[in-house]
Amino acid sequence: MRGLPLLVALVCLLAGCGLSIPSDPDSSLERIRSTGELRVGVSPHPPFTDFPDGLDAPPTGTEVDLVTGFAEQQGARPVWTPGGEEHLVELMKSQQLDIIIGGLTSQTPYSTDVGVTRSYLTQDEPTSDGGTRSRSYVMAVTMGENALLTELERYLDRVQP
Amino acid sequence: MSRHDLGHPALPEERRHDVRRAVRLEVVSLGYLLTCVAVVAATMGNSQAMKAAWIEDLLSLIPPTAFLIAVRVARKPPDPEHPYGHHRSVATGHLVAAVALLTMGLYLLYDNVTKLVTAEHPSIGTVQLFGLTFWQGWLMVAAMVYTGVGPVILGRLKLPLAERLHDKVLHADADMNKADWMTAGGAVLGVLGIGLGLWWADAVAALAISVSVLRDGWRNVRHAVDALVDARAHTVDDTEPHPLNEAARQRLSELDWVREVGIRVRDQGHVFHLEGFVVPHQGQVTVAQLEGAAHLLEELDWKVHDVVVTVVSELPEGKVFVTRGDDRS
Repeated sequence: MRGLPLLVALVCLLAGCGLSIPSDPDSSLERIRSTGELRVGVSPHPPFTDFPDGLDAPPTGTEVDLVTGFAEQQGARPVWTPGGEEHLVELMKSQQLDIIIGGLTSQTPYSTDVGVTRSYLTQDEPTSDGGTRSRSYVMAVTMGENALLTELERYLDRVQP
Repeated sequence: MSRHDLGHPALPEERRHDVRRAVRLEVVSLGYLLTCVAVVAATMGNSQAMKAAWIEDLLSLIPPTAFLIAVRVARKPPDPEHPYGHHRSVATGHLVAAVALLTMGLYLLYDNVTKLVTAEHPSIGTVQLFGLTFWQGWLMVAAMVYTGVGPVILGRLKLPLAERLHDKVLHADADMNKADWMTAGGAVLGVLGIGLGLWWADAVAALAISVSVLRDGWRNVRHAVDALVDARAHTVDDTEPHPLNEAARQRLSELDWVREVGIRVRDQGHVFHLEGFVVPHQGQVTVAQLEGAAHLLEELDWKVHDVVVTVVSELPEGKVFVTRGDDRS
């Protein structure tokens, strides 16, 4: 195959430079570790995310706890930005957010604008017509920042088996 | 009627053997491609890049299907409604396969230009398999290697059969196999590039490949349409006029009662339809002489299937024949 020499060259390059796969095109994970700031967009959706003391106070909720734990693991602290989903997605697309939480599911219509994690939680929930339906909860990460995405998924695997 | 005679009762045994092999090869191709469709569907997740690979796999199901249908139809004998037999099914199948190939090239081009223009950064996260969490890119590379290895082998096996059987559907399918393994190789490089943080790697690799696929697709469509408007017979790869054009002219002009010869050969699909216009030295030609001439042509090659030789006082105006020292361009 004609691609083979190129492939070999690529692998040698990897081994030689000690690069890690996957990497972030815009170095998000590196920046989070060096600046100590994880920029998180929060859309209220109890019990995952909530603002019981107003938008100026820190948020609460299960996903807020998860992301706080992830930030600590990376040696960083979360910086919260409250807002509606669409607004947060716009911020993320202009590189101003690293993660968005707010009870997003794998069916989110924003999946072409943001990267989504594997679901960290799947549960059956009642629907309005009396039945139940399975929902898989995810978090959003800047599109293409695959080192950050991978690191977050590994973290969620560990704390949410 | 034999199942593998291509509607040609005098088909030599070796060629019947080739037909059987080609049919087997295409059935294996179809089965293999279906497993590829399943494997890629299982590993693609949210990845847009893998979705493109999946659509390509679906498109590459078309040429083998066209081949199997064309061979089935071609073996039907002539009947009052189809006095020339059903050989043209091959030309029809060739057009179908060629359009599939062209569509694949156009899709690759469109998809990857869009990716580059919108600067779409592909997201590839992790997968959990057998209790292990690892980067999904590795799984995609494995899937692409699996879908790429088969076409390399299958395509190489199809080419010599396509040549011996003069089957252009099979030849176009070999081109499709080439497109398959090239896109799979490109996707491997692309996914590894994404792993290194080069978000554009996937699109650039696929764009380079789309150029080659488009060229093959366009060439096949052009030649399939050519065959349907009765262009003179060409070799199976359509690079030059078929040598039987000149061989037939040569054979007739060697007859001592023949003064001038005009030959027209058209490709019916697998077999050729050949018309000879002969100007004799004297006004008298016997039926035996004419039948002998037709028989000589039939003996040239199994592909010379349907022969008409007629006597004229001079070559008719307005008809174009194979002429002496015909250029091979």
